[in-house]
Amino acid sequence: MFFYYLRLARISIVKHWGLSLLMIVAIGLGIGASMTTVTVNYLMSANPIPHKSSQLYNVQLDSWDINEPYNDDGTPPEQLTYRDGTNLLNANKAFRHSLQAQANGVIEPEGKDSLPFMVSARANTADFFTMFDLPFIYGGGWDSAADLNKQQVVVINSETNQRVFGGENSVGRDLKINGNYFKVVGVIDYWDPKPRFYDISTGAFNDAEEIFVPFAMIAEEKIGRSGNTNCWKTPEGEGFEGFLNSECVWLQFWVELPNQQDKEDYLSFLNAYVEEQKAFGRFERPLNNKLLNVMQWLEQQQVVEDDAIMMMAMSLMFLIVCLLNTVGLLLAKSLGKAPEIGLRQALGASRRTLFAQYIIESACIGIAGGILGLCFAWLGLQGIGALYGDMLKGLTSLDTNMVASAIALAIVSSILAGLYPTWRACNVQPSQQLKSQ
Amino acid sequence: MLTMKNVSKVFKTDNIQTHALRDFSLTVNEGDFVSVTGPSGSGKTTFLNIAGLLETFSSGDFLLDDISIQQLNDRQRSKIRNEKIGFIFQSFNLIPDLNLFDNVDVPLRYRGFNAKERKQRIEHNLDMVGLASRMKHLPSQLSGGQQQRVAIARALATDPRFLLADEPTGNLDTQMAQSVMSLLEDINKQGTTIVMVTHDNDLANRASRKIQIKDGRVSELDVVVANSQAIA
Amino acid sequence: MLELGLIFRALLRNKVGALLIGLQIALTLTIMTNAIFMMQERNAQMDRPSGLDEANLFFVNNTIFATDYNQQVALEEDLTLLRNTEGVVDAIQINAIPMSGGGWSMGLQTESGVGKDSVGVAVYMVDDHAINTLGLELIAGENFSINDIQWRESSQTTWPAKTIITQAMAESLFADDWHSAVGKTAYISQEQPMQIIGIVKTLQAPWNGWDGVERSMLVPFKMETMGSRYMIKTEPGRRDELMPIIEKALADSNKGRIIRRVTTMDDIRERSYRGHNAVNKILSTVIVVLTLITGFGIVGLAMFSINRRTKQIGTRRALGASKGQIMSYFMIENIMISSFGIVLGIAGAIGLNIWLVNTLSMSPINIEIIVFGVIVLYFVGQLAVLYPARKAANIPPATATRTA
Repeated sequence: MFFYYLRLARISIVKHWGLSLLMIVAIGLGIGASMTTVTVNYLMSANPIPHKSSQLYNVQLDSWDINEPYNDDGTPPEQLTYRDGTNLLNANKAFRHSLQAQANGVIEPEGKDSLPFMVSARANTADFFTMFDLPFIYGGGWDSAADLNKQQVVVINSETNQRVFGGENSVGRDLKINGNYFKVVGVIDYWDPKPRFYDISTGAFNDAEEIFVPFAMIAEEKIGRSGNTNCWKTPEGEGFEGFLNSECVWLQFWVELPNQQDKEDYLSFLNAYVEEQKAFGRFERPLNNKLLNVMQWLEQQQVVEDDAIMMMAMSLMFLIVCLLNTVGLLLAKSLGKAPEIGLRQALGASRRTLFAQYIIESACIGIAGGILGLCFAWLGLQGIGALYGDMLKGLTSLDTNMVASAIALAIVSSILAGLYPTWRACNVQPSQQLKSQ
Repeated sequence: MLTMKNVSKVFKTDNIQTHALRDFSLTVNEGDFVSVTGPSGSGKTTFLNIAGLLETFSSGDFLLDDISIQQLNDRQRSKIRNEKIGFIFQSFNLIPDLNLFDNVDVPLRYRGFNAKERKQRIEHNLDMVGLASRMKHLPSQLSGGQQQRVAIARALATDPRFLLADEPTGNLDTQMAQSVMSLLEDINKQGTTIVMVTHDNDLANRASRKIQIKDGRVSELDVVVANSQAIA
Repeated sequence: MLELGLIFRALLRNKVGALLIGLQIALTLTIMTNAIFMMQERNAQMDRPSGLDEANLFFVNNTIFATDYNQQVALEEDLTLLRNTEGVVDAIQINAIPMSGGGWSMGLQTESGVGKDSVGVAVYMVDDHAINTLGLELIAGENFSINDIQWRESSQTTWPAKTIITQAMAESLFADDWHSAVGKTAYISQEQPMQIIGIVKTLQAPWNGWDGVERSMLVPFKMETMGSRYMIKTEPGRRDELMPIIEKALADSNKGRIIRRVTTMDDIRERSYRGHNAVNKILSTVIVVLTLITGFGIVGLAMFSINRRTKQIGTRRALGASKGQIMSYFMIENIMISSFGIVLGIAGAIGLNIWLVNTLSMSPINIEIIVFGVIVLYFVGQLAVLYPARKAANIPPATATRTA
């Protein structure tokens, strides 16, 4: 019977092609618009490290000004001071931990013809590589001894490796960065988590860094720090030393805590640490430490942009308009079909059979609309990609999940749209339709 | 095969009750050809709709093949319509979007026959009404008489034992009406019970039983077959 | 017009169809007005002047990597080279670029001391050539003199004695009379005094989404830093021609640094407002497509209702209705449906706006846009029903006597 209904649907769609086309285009546009904006939102709110996002925690301490909260909503600063960062690192209370900051450097490749070039860098401690699962092609990260001994080592990405060493295994080679030589210990493969959860202080959708050096290189002034710095108090000491000891926040500190007990223990440790620091006249604000896992962190930092939320809301309303349109047209169509429905009942169709027949017709329109909608969504994402350029890089591609949900959304919504008209149609009183018209 | 006892049908609008049928009782036996006449608005069509299970009734008993109809749900009623009853209408009621083959196919689909059986029945019945060669035509390409013959082919495709015809010749000219009537007589002779509503007395007289409905009540006019009985 | 009641009662008998069209119109109005409003807000933001002579400005990033590098000497050499290049009007070293999104901000207060109210302000560290280079309009006081310029080491926390601020900043500090700001003292870092020696009309901060975007200050500093920028103003029309020349001249003159990101202010503006532009384009597409969908929906439903009523319309014609009367029947019916949708839509528009105001901190919508939306939708409705209504009017009276 299913194929019979499909055939009837085809006959009916072809017969009323103008109306059917209007419905298909309307559903297509609605689905297309929604899928476009939903995709952008979905990619913005994606889990960048799904297998361990619940074990990685960002540490926030409220070291801010007693007179004024850091954020109006009371959330503590998203970064730490150098003093707190290094204190927590030295306390060594977590399973793994990584203190890090954004930096940049100039690489001078060997050879006369090669021009120096600028790279984005991350200054981090040893656990960074294991915590965030960086994929190594050659070598690996450095160990914590290298952090302690302030060794001049570097991990580079494959692109930099290609550019400086022609892509060969460069482990053990020297790389001149800002006039100092660093020994290459590892080369990583393409790695670009979106959002870049481990540091969103300069934008959640920036690319990952090109080179990684030990965090100590910043205090040694072997690498220049960049990124976002926020101060509520002018540094008291002079020079860089004064800055390091200031209340300016510019560091990210992440810990890996395998289970809930570890998490609770670590939070009590943080609270104890802050109480201890209060004795030095710091942390004058009420206790407000946060230990958020990756997804909670991204949620708190609202990485999904307002524009994206606004446009998703608009496009979902747009979809509703398109569906109302379809309901209206299906209703008109089903009223036109009343005589046929009466006749089919006389010939032995039960309401259930008729219901199945017309719902299948709606679903066919839905599938066609869904496929068209996918095309529109693809075009829409291309358009958004073109309009935003590199600002939304990596956020405008359809994946299989989205394709499947687009089709599902189209079918479900068209069936919903078809429900009322079909119900109306199937409640036709057969005897009234069979008399001469 | 069909027994109605004290069947009543009341239409209720906001403040008026209309009795379309009042204590209507009738028995139709296997093989009967019953013609039903009566003035407009007398309840002929209501009777036919109830007999064809298209409408429900307000009170009374209605047995079809000893099955009480009143308790049946929509699905069961649909099944009986499909298996036991064939319909012929004044305005033919062919589905304009479907060709002749597909039109005759409709009840066979609901019956659940396989493709081979359906094809064979469609061809057989269209052949019987002389339209096998025009299977792929749409109804709009046929004359009124031809359309009614297709409708008859469709009504007979499921081998119903009971054929209900509502003014089958009402939209046809005399000549076409005669040929449709002969076709119905042939069908009756082969054992199908027919109930035909008509306002044409000549045609009504060709039936083996003739009843008249007036104000929702039935009266037997002329008993041709001895064992039919009427309760007035 | 006696027909009004009749049309209305007929409409009530086909409630659902009318309801659907009405809801569509309501949602269309809701989306349309809010979208137009958001576009207007963005356009207004984009139309604000930066205060700069954008068409003739570009900048380069100067990143020093050499370890043995005399920054003071190198800066003087660079500025001399730039200012003496043929076609260059003037050039400065600057710490941040307006509209670029990255920069410094500080607080200024009129009274010295901890805990006093301060006003946030964008800091531009420049020398006495800034007003000429950027193309600023000095509306009160005077420019820095060469003696005002100090050297600033990186991580230095003390500030020079003088500053020039924007008019908006002066208004924020001295609400009663911005003219009076000249000569007054403001305090930076809570207690370091700075004398306001001049006021410029407009100079935007680097952050175009900041509500204090008009508040900026010029600080007479030359910076010793590993990474700074040179802003260069060329003679009109010579910018593009000079960009590669200057990039090469700088790169060749000193090998201990990298010259990169040679960028025009036009590019910075485009990049800065790219999100706004994109949203505007998307929203206008949404409005157009939405209106089309609603329009075609009205056409579709009207066609069906007319097809269903063919015999009835023929009968009316037979009974003496003129073509005009048949047409006006459908047009009036459409106005009734539209009115229902529009009343609902006005409520929806305000409701959506309230939601946007609350969740995404936008400002409340103005009434003109709603009025505009209402007019557009009435017009679209009438236009959409025109063709079906004409088709209805052309149904011949003889239809009445034919059986369907």
